[in-house]
Amino acid sequence: MERSFYYRVATYSLITILSVMALLPSLAEWTNKSERLPDWYKKAFSRKISLGLDLQGGLHLVYEVQVDKAVSDKADRLAAQIEEKLARDKKVKGARVIREGDGAEARLRVNFQNKSDAKKLDGSLEREFAKYLTRDGQNEQTGETVYKMDADYIDELRSYAVSQGVETIKNRVDKLGVSEPVVQRKQNDIIVELAGLSQADFERVKSLIGKTAQLEFKMADDGSEYMQKLSAHAESKKAQYVGLDVGFDAWQQKDSGQQHTDVYLKAKDKAVLEKFLKELPPELTVPSDHQILFEQTSRRNDDGEETQDKVWRSYYLHRRAELTGEYLTDAEVQWDPNTGRPEVGITFDSEGASLFEKVSGANIGRRMAIILDEKVSSAPTIEGRIGGGRARITLGGFSDPYQLQQEAKDLVAVLRTGALPAPLRKTFETQVGATLGPEAVSKARTSMVIGTLAVVIFMLIYYRTAGLIADIAMVFNVVYLLAIMALIQATLTLPGIAAVVLTIGMAVDANIIFYERIREELRAGKTPRQAVENGFGRAFWTVFDAHVTNLVAGVVLYSYGTGPIRGFAVSLMAGIVCNLFTSVWLSRVMFDFLVGRNKKRATLSI
Amino acid sequence: MSQQFFELIRPDHNFDFVGKTKPLLISSAILIVLSFLMLPLNLIIPGRGHALNFAIDFRGGTEMRVDFSKPVTPGEIREAMDAGGYKDSEVVPLPEFKHAFLVRFPAVSALTPEQAKRAESSLRDKLGQESLRKFEFSDGGDKAYVRLNKAVEPSQIQDILRAADITTSQVQRFGRPEDNTYEIVLVGLDQEIRKALDGKLGQGAVASIPSVGSVGAKAGKELRDNGIVSLLAAIGFIMLYILVRFDFRYGPGTVIALLHDAIFVMGAFAVTYKEFSLTTIAAILTVIGYSMNDTIVVFDRIRENANKMRDKKFSQIVNLSVNETLSRTILTSATVFLVTLAMNIWGTGVIRDFAFAMNVGVIIGTFSSVFIASPILIWLNDKSLQSQKKPRRSSGTTPA
Repeated sequence: MERSFYYRVATYSLITILSVMALLPSLAEWTNKSERLPDWYKKAFSRKISLGLDLQGGLHLVYEVQVDKAVSDKADRLAAQIEEKLARDKKVKGARVIREGDGAEARLRVNFQNKSDAKKLDGSLEREFAKYLTRDGQNEQTGETVYKMDADYIDELRSYAVSQGVETIKNRVDKLGVSEPVVQRKQNDIIVELAGLSQADFERVKSLIGKTAQLEFKMADDGSEYMQKLSAHAESKKAQYVGLDVGFDAWQQKDSGQQHTDVYLKAKDKAVLEKFLKELPPELTVPSDHQILFEQTSRRNDDGEETQDKVWRSYYLHRRAELTGEYLTDAEVQWDPNTGRPEVGITFDSEGASLFEKVSGANIGRRMAIILDEKVSSAPTIEGRIGGGRARITLGGFSDPYQLQQEAKDLVAVLRTGALPAPLRKTFETQVGATLGPEAVSKARTSMVIGTLAVVIFMLIYYRTAGLIADIAMVFNVVYLLAIMALIQATLTLPGIAAVVLTIGMAVDANIIFYERIREELRAGKTPRQAVENGFGRAFWTVFDAHVTNLVAGVVLYSYGTGPIRGFAVSLMAGIVCNLFTSVWLSRVMFDFLVGRNKKRATLSI
Repeated sequence: MSQQFFELIRPDHNFDFVGKTKPLLISSAILIVLSFLMLPLNLIIPGRGHALNFAIDFRGGTEMRVDFSKPVTPGEIREAMDAGGYKDSEVVPLPEFKHAFLVRFPAVSALTPEQAKRAESSLRDKLGQESLRKFEFSDGGDKAYVRLNKAVEPSQIQDILRAADITTSQVQRFGRPEDNTYEIVLVGLDQEIRKALDGKLGQGAVASIPSVGSVGAKAGKELRDNGIVSLLAAIGFIMLYILVRFDFRYGPGTVIALLHDAIFVMGAFAVTYKEFSLTTIAAILTVIGYSMNDTIVVFDRIRENANKMRDKKFSQIVNLSVNETLSRTILTSATVFLVTLAMNIWGTGVIRDFAFAMNVGVIIGTFSSVFIASPILIWLNDKSLQSQKKPRRSSGTTPA
């Protein structure tokens, strides 16, 4: 026998052994014998096929969509629009629109410097906002006008917040590669069901679902009088709020050399800062067009290097966001060239880019806070007009580089899928059992075993020894397929198993193509050895084309599809690759063994 | 010299497939049209009411938490639901609670569309045309919402509805007082389900039904759109591959054949009104893959023979190739059919539906590669010869 034969046998044996090893943890788990595997082994082959919700159950989470926040946000945006309309179209100076109350109770209070300006809130302007707002009253003395949100529009906003939330969560879970998750709406709640993941995976999925991912860019109000007063108050209350401190910022704008200074509050414990702000005396409450948000930073030592010491510090910001994540087109993980730490680079669309350029141009020397979910991620000083529409988000919190990178990846995933229209609150979490009872599963098993046996026996009767080869190849095919599924941590549902069984039916297809060809060659009077040679050679491209077209379909389904379609595509592709391998190469080795031993044999059992 | 094989079809057979395509093509076209016709027809057939029997995956429905007073299995609950007329329910055990299950079933409304309309119109009549701003009822839920222009007593709404033959268990104010919104709790769904379950599992089997709510579809609009986009993209790329590996004449036949098969399977689901779920979609995708596989094998042989036999008519070459690959075509179909038939006979629920789709698909897929894909190939070949306008021997000759 030729040398290449032994090489091939050695290679295929190695692949088979590796496949079995990859498959062992899954098999052990299904038969409840996991504890028999040594620890080092479990560590080396940690990836397993998990069983789907129908076979094993999983986690059932119910999230309440905090629809009121979506309504409040819309009210804020309307306030900004009205203010702008008054200033730009109606030439009203100093008009302020302030939101009061949350959710359905939200009211917009329009204040005028001049009482006479109140009549500028005329029909044409009100008509424009008629879909959203209805007038609730006007103060005769000051011209102050109050609007409330329209009830139908609130319903619409709430409904949209939930339906959009469902889609966004679906996309996020899909991005994680969890196959066959269930995300559905239940009135104002969102139900998420996840099949058998490890505890760590569950935690990661939960944190991803919980992220609102609202990205905002707000200008800091540097050197304000209010912060001077607030810090003076903080100094006096240091004893009452343990850990509270006041810090000073000073920076110089590079080009103009202009000096900037500001004060801020800081504490190791964020709760201290929040408590302090909550208990402010009425005359010191944060003005309604401003807000105070916090950033977690590392304390620098005397040499200016970062230390492990983390501290929360405040920023005094204009409430209105200059730019939001809505203008984002892409996000990616990149590395800070100075520190080498992972960060997230974002790209704005053309509208966002021009807004960004305008804002940065108008605020040179000031600081712009990049805010993610109400937390300042950084607040760089604007050194000049920034074109091109790119920005970056630095990550705080974790200092472990691996964790940072993971965090950056997750952030990219949520930014790409877009922000949730409203925050979520988990209201219910429970384990759910398998939806299919044991009796249904055993029936399905019986049917699949019968189907498989039918094919095995058929092949044996029709092709004799060659049929046996096809049957053996089929067994290997299933082993490889399951091994691949274990390595990519696929989820197996009952229909998924049916699909695997189906590949068995299809797996023999390639063998049949080869065998029919070999028979044709034998009929034409070729020797068995020649017939095998020619048969495999000629039919190869047929088999190849048939498999590749299927593979093309699989790749496309995977890249465009979501949820179940994706899961299906993965099994399809894995099946095709294994199929091609076993039918073309593995069967060939067995045939070479069959015809190679006796070169003079006249017949081939096929 | 020559060896004997176990054969189902003798190798020297030569059936005239190409000659028989016309009547088969026509009947195929008729069946395709019927498949589509069945969709609107299902809407009016009594007891059906949807184009396809969409599962809860697509339609959404009702989710109910049911606590039992004794141990029961999901299978028993499903049977009891079936017996009570709530077909295709999904039962999810909640192991952290005692004998508790989530039962989901396709939208069965506490209010029929006519009842809902009647409720709305009688409210309009009694309270004044202008006063009713909104009447909202979601299919599958057990609550309706009305918003009025003025405040009324909840009992007044209850009385109006009672007069219209709609019994309600409760009407209460809802949301902001100035909005005059009322929540109407309809009687029913939980009581009906309790009756159905008790009837089969014994009186008092249901301890309580703590929650009832309507759930949305698992597969929303986005999934549907994505599915369509991915299918079209897949078809495009397959055409491209065939264009590279074969040539342009081979592409359309393959694609039309696989579309034919997909439509046919859908038609089978429309006619039998079997539950159409996400699993069915997976089955249709499998059928498409299978059909393509089949077509490519036949086409491959056609290409090979066309290169060898330049002097024969193209239609003859096609017929010969179909005959040569016939044995393989039938054998492959047989093996796949065997597997899926076993699953269809001995399987349950989801598996059965999957197997049914495959059974239909395998037969149709085999049929389409011979009687759909090949004639299109012949036709395109003739067309391309005509457009080349080469005064060759005869119009049916294979181009080089």
